[in-house]
Formats: sequence, structure tokens, C-alpha cells
Amino acid sequence: MNYGWVIDQTKCIGCHACSTACKSENDVPLGVHRTWVKAVEVGEFPHVRRHFAVLRCNHCADPPCVHICPVSAMHQRADGIVDIAHDRCIGCKACIQACPFDAIHVDPAENTVAKCHFCAHRVDRGLLPACVVICPVEALVFGDMDDPQSRVNRYLGSTPLSVRRPEQNTRPKAFYAGAHAAALDPLAAAHEAAYMWSERRAGTAKDHSADFSVWSLLRSPTNASKAKGNGNGRTPRSRMPKARVAYDVHHEVSWKGKVSSYLWTKSVSAGSAFVGAAAMLFGFNTSDRLLATVAPMVALVALAATGVLLVIDLKRPERFWYILLKPQWRSWLTRGAYIITGFGAILSGWMALAMTGRVPSDLVLWTTVVLAFATAVYTAFLFAQCEARDLWQSPLVGPGLTIQMIIAGSGALLVLELFVPTTPEVTGFLSKVLLAGLSAHLLSILVGEVSARHGSSNAAAAADVMIKGQYAVLFWTSLVAGAIAPGFLLLTTGGAGVPLASGLALAGLLAYEHAFVMSAQSVPVS
Amino acid sequence: MPESQHPADRDPMQPGLTAYPPRENWDSWTEYESRDWPNRSERTYSLVPTSCFNCESACGLLAYVDRETGDVRKFEGNPLHPGSRGRNCAKGPATLTQTHDPERILYPLKRVGERGGGKWERVSWDDVLDDLAGRIRSALVEDRKNEIMYHVGRPGEDGYTNRVLAAWGVDGHNSHTNICSAGARCGYAFWMGIDRPSPDYANAKAILLISAHLESGHYFNPHAQRILEGKRGGAKVIVMDPRLSNTATHADHWLPTYPGSEPAVLLAIANILLQNDWINRDFVRRWVNWESFMRARHSNDTLTFENFLVRLKESYNRYTPEFAESESGVPAQQIVEVARIIADAGEAFSAHNWRAAAAGNLHGWMTARALFFLNVLTGSVASKGGTTPNAYNKFVPKAHTSPPAPDQWNNLSWPKEFPLSFYEMSFLLPHFLKEGRGKLAAYFTRVYNPVWTNPDGFTWIEVLKNESLVECHAALTPVWSETAWFADYVLPVGLGSERHDLHSYETHASKWVAFRQPVLRAFRDRMGQPIEDTRDVNPGEVWEENEFWIELSWRIDPDGSLGIRQHFESPYESGQKISIDDYYRWIFENSVPGLPEAAATESLTPLEYMRRIGVFEVARDVYHTHETEVVTAGGRANPETGIVTDESGAAVGVEIDGVARQGFPTPSRKLELHSDTLAAWGWPEYAIPTHAPSHVAQSQLDAANNEFCLVPTFRLPVLIHTRSNNAKWLNEIAHSNPLWLNPDDAGRLGVHTNDLVRVNTEIGYYVLRAWVTEGIRPGVAACSHHMGRWRTQESEGNARWSSAKVSIQQDGTTFLMRREHGVEAFESADRDSQLVWWHDSGVHQNLTFPVQPDPISGAHAWHQRVRLEQAHDDDREGDISVDTAKSHEVYKAWMARTRPAPGPGGLRRPEWLQRPLKPTREAYRLVDSP
Repeated sequence: MNYGWVIDQTKCIGCHACSTACKSENDVPLGVHRTWVKAVEVGEFPHVRRHFAVLRCNHCADPPCVHICPVSAMHQRADGIVDIAHDRCIGCKACIQACPFDAIHVDPAENTVAKCHFCAHRVDRGLLPACVVICPVEALVFGDMDDPQSRVNRYLGSTPLSVRRPEQNTRPKAFYAGAHAAALDPLAAAHEAAYMWSERRAGTAKDHSADFSVWSLLRSPTNASKAKGNGNGRTPRSRMPKARVAYDVHHEVSWKGKVSSYLWTKSVSAGSAFVGAAAMLFGFNTSDRLLATVAPMVALVALAATGVLLVIDLKRPERFWYILLKPQWRSWLTRGAYIITGFGAILSGWMALAMTGRVPSDLVLWTTVVLAFATAVYTAFLFAQCEARDLWQSPLVGPGLTIQMIIAGSGALLVLELFVPTTPEVTGFLSKVLLAGLSAHLLSILVGEVSARHGSSNAAAAADVMIKGQYAVLFWTSLVAGAIAPGFLLLTTGGAGVPLASGLALAGLLAYEHAFVMSAQSVPVS
Repeated sequence: MPESQHPADRDPMQPGLTAYPPRENWDSWTEYESRDWPNRSERTYSLVPTSCFNCESACGLLAYVDRETGDVRKFEGNPLHPGSRGRNCAKGPATLTQTHDPERILYPLKRVGERGGGKWERVSWDDVLDDLAGRIRSALVEDRKNEIMYHVGRPGEDGYTNRVLAAWGVDGHNSHTNICSAGARCGYAFWMGIDRPSPDYANAKAILLISAHLESGHYFNPHAQRILEGKRGGAKVIVMDPRLSNTATHADHWLPTYPGSEPAVLLAIANILLQNDWINRDFVRRWVNWESFMRARHSNDTLTFENFLVRLKESYNRYTPEFAESESGVPAQQIVEVARIIADAGEAFSAHNWRAAAAGNLHGWMTARALFFLNVLTGSVASKGGTTPNAYNKFVPKAHTSPPAPDQWNNLSWPKEFPLSFYEMSFLLPHFLKEGRGKLAAYFTRVYNPVWTNPDGFTWIEVLKNESLVECHAALTPVWSETAWFADYVLPVGLGSERHDLHSYETHASKWVAFRQPVLRAFRDRMGQPIEDTRDVNPGEVWEENEFWIELSWRIDPDGSLGIRQHFESPYESGQKISIDDYYRWIFENSVPGLPEAAATESLTPLEYMRRIGVFEVARDVYHTHETEVVTAGGRANPETGIVTDESGAAVGVEIDGVARQGFPTPSRKLELHSDTLAAWGWPEYAIPTHAPSHVAQSQLDAANNEFCLVPTFRLPVLIHTRSNNAKWLNEIAHSNPLWLNPDDAGRLGVHTNDLVRVNTEIGYYVLRAWVTEGIRPGVAACSHHMGRWRTQESEGNARWSSAKVSIQQDGTTFLMRREHGVEAFESADRDSQLVWWHDSGVHQNLTFPVQPDPISGAHAWHQRVRLEQAHDDDREGDISVDTAKSHEVYKAWMARTRPAPGPGGLRRPEWLQRPLKPTREAYRLVDSP
């Protein structure tokens, strides 16, 4: 048994019956959609057509949403249906980041995620999905791909079919017959400020689509439009994108400031512990208060903040403990939670030693170094599971997070050095570490994000948003004021400029995290 | 036993899975509750069929009634319905949002204070009935019968209410037809005496659509199914529309004709067929009244068919493809290609025009007339894959009594200026009242919203507020509307799952009759708890009209002395008030052939059968009805005309090649290429299919002054006129009606998508946003008619899911409407009201349109000559300004185009033309015949 869709766009009349039947069958609230009909206009009058694409969950054979779900709420049934157990979902929204098709949303009534589940509750009663039943023109075909008697199977054997975003390698099982590329490719068609019969809510990935619409310009201004000016100084225009979205639905950006802040507090936590412990292992005075006491204390406080941010970013924060007690071990959220827990434990141990005036053993320090490193870089693996965000898939993310940990740790300790003075040797060491971190950060970003060719059009578009688009100011400020300027201060001012440089580096890091987190989510995937 | 007609059941899409629960389980069917999935919590339902009440297709619905709570959980399609075949459009399931709208009107309301002042009090149905019955009775006994008027939107039923009006003896039926389908009806009726086409799309080889039949046609879902079936079977689809509709996007040939030029293109196609002899000669010879054509126009020629063909070719040779190109903008070569496709299709040529061009233009009716010309030439009339007169695919059963025809003629609906109109001149009513042509003692608007739907709404408001012109206005409506706001009584009536109706529509080559029913009443019946009054199961005191009219009729004539009561007495219990069960029981037992037998095979009574199945197919594969041989004992054929009459002298057929056949209900019993009626009633120049310039023809516009033709009529697949304003799922999908502009025009105007544009009409202007698109012909602007709902009070007067809060300032005859705020989230019992995310309500353009009645069909010519400009600095989105004095001047100018009755015989209207609630012959007489 292997259920799949064939969506025959040669028949679809764009009537939205499927969207509405789904709302009814599944009691889907306003504002969110398990299935919708995107409309794209392609061409120039009179050689213009409106193409439709019925978009929804692909029930991928290799479903990234299932892999990333920390609590097995998202699961793949034996019959191929990717289903969601709402009473298990903690609302971490990781599956939304993992889905390269925008198929998952947060249900505003339940505060858990939801998506098309092939009407599994009907299928298990012997009924076809509600959208299939209502479709006036038999454009939606559902069935067992392995069953030679099924209509899906007949399509598979006889009709040229395409899938959305094959480059994501999720093995989608929604096959499209006769779909226009501009309707399936999320980067082909431009979104404008409104659609043909509805508003378009701003503040999402679609804001940027006109910037990187692959099929950009169709027409130049005509003579007619050049001829007549107008009263208010606007320039006449008749430029039209070759492919333009006429109808689509809203997809919320689901990870925002709390996630960027979490990355930052986590870097500070991991970095303080890492730098402090490493310094002691390198032979700095093990009774130096900054290293022995302040470092684990800062790490603990920042880790607590990290935990708080993680929990309050959950749509169901009261279920946060599911992640530890109902773990799904393939998820890097689960693994991360355990790493963080372990890191918190070792920090608490170190802290307890410090409070009682004892010196942590090398074993404690080495364990701290290892767990701090793991705490910093596990997010790279989590990001790698976010199949919707190609910018996060870069192999440089892991090294980058390591560098950020170094910057954050050394920077945080150097700021605190204002209140807990230490020896010039320690300050000098930390300054060098910070300088090295900043240099590596600059280098990796300039090489990795700015000058490199990106692995996919999605990643390239996201990098464009970060470097040239909406987040360019934040991004470049983070580099100039947060890396170049502090580096310059460290090199030129000696001790006096260190606290300022550290503060700038920390602020720059937060700005960079935010630009990085948001840009990746600023490219449409549907 | 009727079986599921759903294609996924007939040819299983997936073995083991069906579209619908097996019918034997409809009394008790257990499903898993989706809300709680994947926990397998079960709910058990009773499945009760009814019909959708949103658009006129009346697709089958199946209500899932929770056996425990007695509430409707959802609506799906009815798989046993031969028209909709278990499938629906978005509006079917959205019925749930309408029945469960937390802001429904639940009780009868009576106005307090001035009309339109917005103050209401709850009253009892008894008080309402007594007041209305008193007013109607007075009008009847004081011989003011024409002061009683029932004004209906899309009826959604066949015959019930007309029978009520006939029982009262009043010519009081008024409709919305003349702002809708009048043009098309006129064009078809002058050919065949029947005013609608029934295309057999599924079997066609070529399909020509003038209207967006694939996504918003008159029989949208049933027709979309069959158009796509035809296409899959190899049919070529040709679509005429200046705008890229979803239908046009599926066309093999999209002909984006300039509005009003459609007849030119169609007649050019006819010309190509004629000149190439690509016509069905035998069909034309047998079934066209070519002799009339020859007598009227070439009386000196010898009367032979060959001579006729020569003359016919002559008559149309001026319609060259090049001429059509110059009128329409469609390349001549494409017109030739399309003509070839139509010729190749032969008798399998399905064509359809309902609104669109026929509803848009002066002479719009010629679009349908020219279109059906192609059916006639190809012989694709009532053929398999062709286009059938709708009456052959429709079945209207009779009730237990048939009241006599009214002996009145209502000049407010049927003024003498429009003797050929199809039908009531409904949208001129406020101007007639203003002119002093009469007054109304009891005016019912029934699920009808003329203030919003009709042109010139401010004139409607002026007249509805005038209590000496409209003494009592009762609005029968399930939801608030702009018109109900100006009523004396707002009377909540049921939605699709809360009312009884019978209906039959020509969805395909079949005849079926379907039963709309209050599903909770049927459910209670099934559970062995029968109830007497539908109010007992409907929300609040929402009633159904059927029972309302029975009750009202009894109160008008309590002792039976007016002869009214007898028609509302039970056929089973003499002298007793008829119950709904008895009314339909009698029809199903006596008037629907085959139904009693079908019910018996299921061990059901006919009424039980209809309550459980919801629909009965009377006949299928209905073709060539006109060829039916007529046998009349004592009848005879007129040797000159070939017309066969029965003993009473009524025409029943026509002799074709020596055989008496049924033919068509025209004076010649044939298809009338030349309409002697049109010629005799003052329009000889339009007696044969002809192209005449529309009021928005390119020649009429000053393009240099930014004048455009505005197409304000297009529909969207998810909304339905005035009825879907409280369907949250539908309004979420569509809530804006920007002005479509071609980039060339937008460039010239300096307008980008989302910029504000001021649209100036003859009587005012409105301000809205632009949607710049390649999907429209340059020189044409378009705006969907669905949006622009408004209310003047914050929490009453219209659905907050879709309407804007506006203010209306009146200065003499000048009105200014201004949007105070758009749609907003609101508090209610429905969690979704807090999740409303859209703000746009669209802009109500119809307010700014003057009435533009076509002098022949009487259709409102919707297309507008407008001047476009960028919005002024102090303009705001949604601004609407109108001068009703100007609108009355425009009305007079259009009235001057008419050629009034009397016609031949001193009649008000040719007797053979169809007319709802046809009065007695005597009432037709305007003056004594000369």
C-alpha cells in the first residue's frame, strides 16, 4: 500500500471547491489552508493563459517533516500517509521549516501544526478524500500507486508527470499532469501587492518574489505609455512580469526573533564555557574568577535563557517536556535538547565546584569543552534537516556556529571583565581569541555567503535577500560594526577598547543571526 | 435502486475506497471525527439529501446530521443526483457557513421609526401574517390587485410561488431576469419559442461558450463536468470573452472579442458556413421557416429552397471575417479556423450564451440569436452533442390544483413600452413609481437585493424610503442585505437545508426533478419524530416560504369566499389546511411519471423516496423531441402553413415532408430565421439575425479622452451574487474586485496594480484599486460584480464577514457613500470571526450605473461607457458618488428608444411569447383591435 496523488492540471478549472471541501471536512480555521489553488498568469495578451496548481502536502516518501519532528507527532503510516497527531505536537514549527512545499501551518485554534493527511480518517473508513470527491472535473486522483487497478497507477504508467521541487530529494508523491512550470516553481512567478480577487498579506517570503522571479520582464513600455505623463510625477509603466501570481495564500514566517535570540544566547552559553574551560586546560590560572566562576555562571544563565526562548517559542509551551520524554531520536531538536541538558548538567557541576571553592578536574573541563561544542554546532544539523531553507543547508553552517561560539564566549567574558577583573594575560588571550573569531567569521561569510555560488536557486535567492535585499542593512551592519569595527578596535586600541569591541561583536553577532534566520525564510517555497 | 453517479464510484478510482457511504447505510453511518484525528473518536450520522440554494444549478447536497446532537456537521454532494453526480463547487460545502453564521437573522423583525433608520423590534410571525394578509385582502377586494408584488431573485424552485400568485388572482410576479438572462432568452426565444439552450456538452465535438461556463456558468458545476468530458472526448472549446476567464484559459480558441462585437464574429462564422456550403441543408430545409424569410424579403422570387439559399448567402456576405476582425479585434484567420471546427462538428456542436455579451449590450440579445443561427445551420438542434431547447430537458410537475390565469395586466412590470421583453422590466420599477405609474400596497422582496444587485441603487433607496409609493415592504431573506435594511418586515427564511422546493434544470440531455428539503425535519421524520412546522427544526424562528405562503393565503381568505383558500386545502382531507407533506405527497404520487413505480420497488412511498433519494430522473438521453410525430384525432394541418391544430384549434405540430411532427412552440412551429413577430411589432430591421452597434462599441467611445468599455458583470467561481455574503470560507478566498486593466491602458493612465482609479460613469463615479493584467483586451476595463457589500451600522445590516461600514451623505439628489472601515475581525460565537484577516470588501459599482434597457429584450445593458482617471487627491478607496436626477434623465433617454404596444390585434404582447404567470387573453388586450 503506497498512497499518492495525481493532480491533473489539464482539467483543473480553478474553482476552489477542493479548498472549501477541505475546510469543511477538517474544520480548518480561517487564515490557514491545507490545500489551495495557486493561479499564475503567463504570457502577453492575447497569448496569455492562467495556470493553476493545486498545492498541498506531497506525502513524501522521504518526509523531512517526519525526520525533524522531535516528538513523533508527524509520522509516516505504513500506507504512505504522512499524518500528524495533534495531541502530541508541541508546536516547535520545525516541520514547517523542514517542508519544502509550505504544506504545514500552525492551526490557530489548536496551536499545533496541521496539514493535509489524505483525509486519513476517511480513508480508514473506506472513503476517498473530501477534495477528491467534490472536484467537479476529476482533476484530483487519489489511490495506491502500487495497485494496478487504481487510477493513480494508470496515470503513472501513461502520462508525463512532474513533481514540485524535485531537487529537494524528498521523493514527493503528488504528481502533476500538465502543470505549467511557472505554477509549480515557487521562484518563477512574481507576487504583487495584491491578487486578482483578494488581498495579499505582507510580511512573508512572497514580498521578495518580484526581485528574483526567474521569468522577470516581458514588456517594455509601449509608445502609448511613454506618450502621456500624469499629474503626480509617477512614471508611466506597462512593464509586466512574464509570469505573475494571480492567486495564492498566506504562509506565515514561523521562526522569528526568538529563534535568532536563541542562537545567540546559545552561542554565548556554549562559548563562555568553551573558552573558559579551554583557557584553563591551556594552563591559565584555574582560580582566576573570570574563568573559573564567571564563565560557567554566564554559560548557565545564557543556557537558561536559551531554554526559556526555546520553550516560549513553542506554540504549546506546556508540552515542552514531551521533547525529552517522548523523543524521536532522528530529530536534531531531540538530540539538541539532550545535548543541552547534558551541557547544563556539566555546567551545574562545574558551578557547584566553583561555589564550593574547588577546582574542576581536567575531565570536567574536557567534558565541558566537548558538550559546549556540541551545544553550539548541533543546530547546524538541525538546520540541515530544515529542507525548506537551502541557505541553512550550507556545509559552512557548522564551522560558522563554532566561530560564533568562540566570538560570543570570548566577547561575553571580555565584557564581564569590566566587573570581574582578571589578569592581563587572560585578557590578552581572550582578545586574541575574539580577534581570531571575528576574522574567521568575516572570512567565512565573505567566502561562504557573499562570493560563493549557492547550491540552489532557493539558497541564492535567500543570500540575495540577506546581502542585497530586506536584511542587507542588518547583515552589513553586523559585519562592519560587529566584526570589522571591533577587530579594528582590538588591533589599534589595546586594552581600553576591548570592552567596546566585545560589546560590538556580541551585538553584531545577534544582528547576523537574525539576518541569517530571517533571510532563509524569505524565499517562497510554494 | 439508484446508484452513485460519482465517477470515482462508477469507474472505481481506487478499489476499496468509494466517494460516498453505501446508500443502505445512510440511516446510520459512522465516521471518525476529523477534529480529533488520529484519535479514532466516532460520530454517527444520518445522511439526508437536499439541494444547494446558492446558485441556480441546485446541485444535490447530502447533509450529515449527527444522530446524537441533531446538528448538521457538513454538506457533501448527493451521489444519486443525475445533474451534479455527487460533485459540487465551493458553494456547496460552504452552505454550512451560511446555516451556522452566528449573525443570522433568527426572528421576524419589524421596523421602528422611519424606514431605513435602522431600528428594529422582534415581532411574532402571527403579527406579520395578520398585517400582510390584511393589506393583501384589502387590495384584492378593493380591486387594487396590481399593488401586490412578489419580486424574486433566482427562484430556485419551479412553480410553487407562481401558483400562489395565480391563486390570489394577481399579476404580481416580478423577477430579476432583466438584469440577468433577458438578452439571451430573447435571442433564443425568437428562434425556437423556448428561451433557454440546453447544450449536450458531454457528447459535443465543438463547444462555443459566450460566458465563463466552466467556472461560473448558469449551471456551473454540472456544466463544467460535462464540458470537460466533451473536451476529453476530443471536443474543441471556443470561448468568446474580452477577459481571460478560467474558461477562456481552457479554450483551444480564445476569442477576446471587443464587447458588443460578438454578433459580428458569429455572423461572419455563419457567412463562412454558408458560402462554403458547410451547412446541414436537409435540417435547414425541414426546420427553418425559410418561406417566411422569402415572403418578407424576396416575395418576387420563386419560393424554392435553392432560391432561399442564394438569398441567404447574399444577406450575410457582408459579414466577412475581415469585417468581424475590424469590429472585434479577433484575427480574421482565427475566425476562419473556428468556423472550420464548427463545420466539422456538424450536429455535435454545443453552444451557450446566458449572460455576458447578451446581458452587456444594447442589442445584446442578438448575440444569442446569432449564436443559435450556427446551431441551426449545422443542424445541431436537439441533437446528440448539440444544443437542445431547454424545455425538452426540464420537467415541472403539476400540483393538486391549478388556479386560473390572472385576469390582470400589471403595467409596473409589463409596461407598454416593452411589448417583447423577457420578462418583467424589474429594474425600471423605481423609475415607474417615481413617474407616478402606480404604487405598491404590499411589496415582497424574496431572497432579492435590488438596492445592491440592480443598477441605480440610490434610486431604489429613494423609492423604498417613500412610504406613499411603497406602503409595505416585506423582505424574505436568510441574511441581512442592503435591501432588507429598507423593509418594514425582515422575515428570516431558510437556506438550502431549511426549506422545501421542487426544481428541474436542463443540465444535460435528461429530465430530472429534485427535492430540496429541511434536512432536520426529514431527519426527525426518519427517527420517528415527525413535526408539523419547519420552524420547529430551523434555527430560531427561521421559516420556510412554502408554509409561509400557505398560512398567509389562509389568512387572506379565511372563509374561502375569495376562492383562494381552496387551493391551499389538503387533497386528502377536504376543507383542511394543506400540510407540506400532503402538498408534495400529491405531486409525487400523481404528477411525476415513473416515480411511484420506482418508489414501490424500494418499498417506499413516493414521498419517502424523495425524502431519502432527493431526486428522480424522469427521462434520459432526450434528443430530437421536435421530431416527435403528432397524432391528433380530429386535428388537421393547414394546407398553407403546414401547422397542425387539435380539436380546440391550438397548434400542436407542423407537417414536415408530409409527416405531422411536434416542432417548436413558435408561430410557424419551426425555427424562425425570419421573425414575423419582430417585423410586425415594429422591428423589421432586426427580424433576421443582424449585427447592430452596441452602446459601448468602439465607435461610441472617445479613447483619447480615456473612455473605456467597462465589463462589470463577470462572476467568480466562489461567490454568488448577493447570497454568499455570510459564507466565511468563500469570502476568505475572494473579497476584492479591483479594476482589470491591460498594461497598455494602465501605462497610458499612469496606473500600477493596487493604485486607486476613479471610474466615471454617466451618473457618478466610484474609486477602486487597479489590477493590471495581460488577461484583458486593451480598451476594455472589467470589474467583478460580486463585491462591494456595505452596511451603515456597525453590527447590523449586513454580514460582517464581507461588508464595509460606510456612511451615506445625501444632498438633494446627490449621494456620496464613503467607506469608514473595511472588513474587520469581530466577536461572535464562531471562533473564526476573530480570525478574519482581510480588510477589503470590494467596491459597489452597480450604484453608479444608470438603467439602460434594451428596447426589444428589455434587458439591462450592463456594460458601461466610462472615463478612467487616477484617483483625485481627496478620493478614498470605496468612494461612490451618484446623482439620481441624472440617472432619471438617462432612463428617459433609453425609454425614447422603445417602440411601444399595441402591436397587431391591439395587444400588449404577442400571445405566443413565453411569460411567467401568463394572464388571460383578455388581459393581453391594450386597445380594442382595429
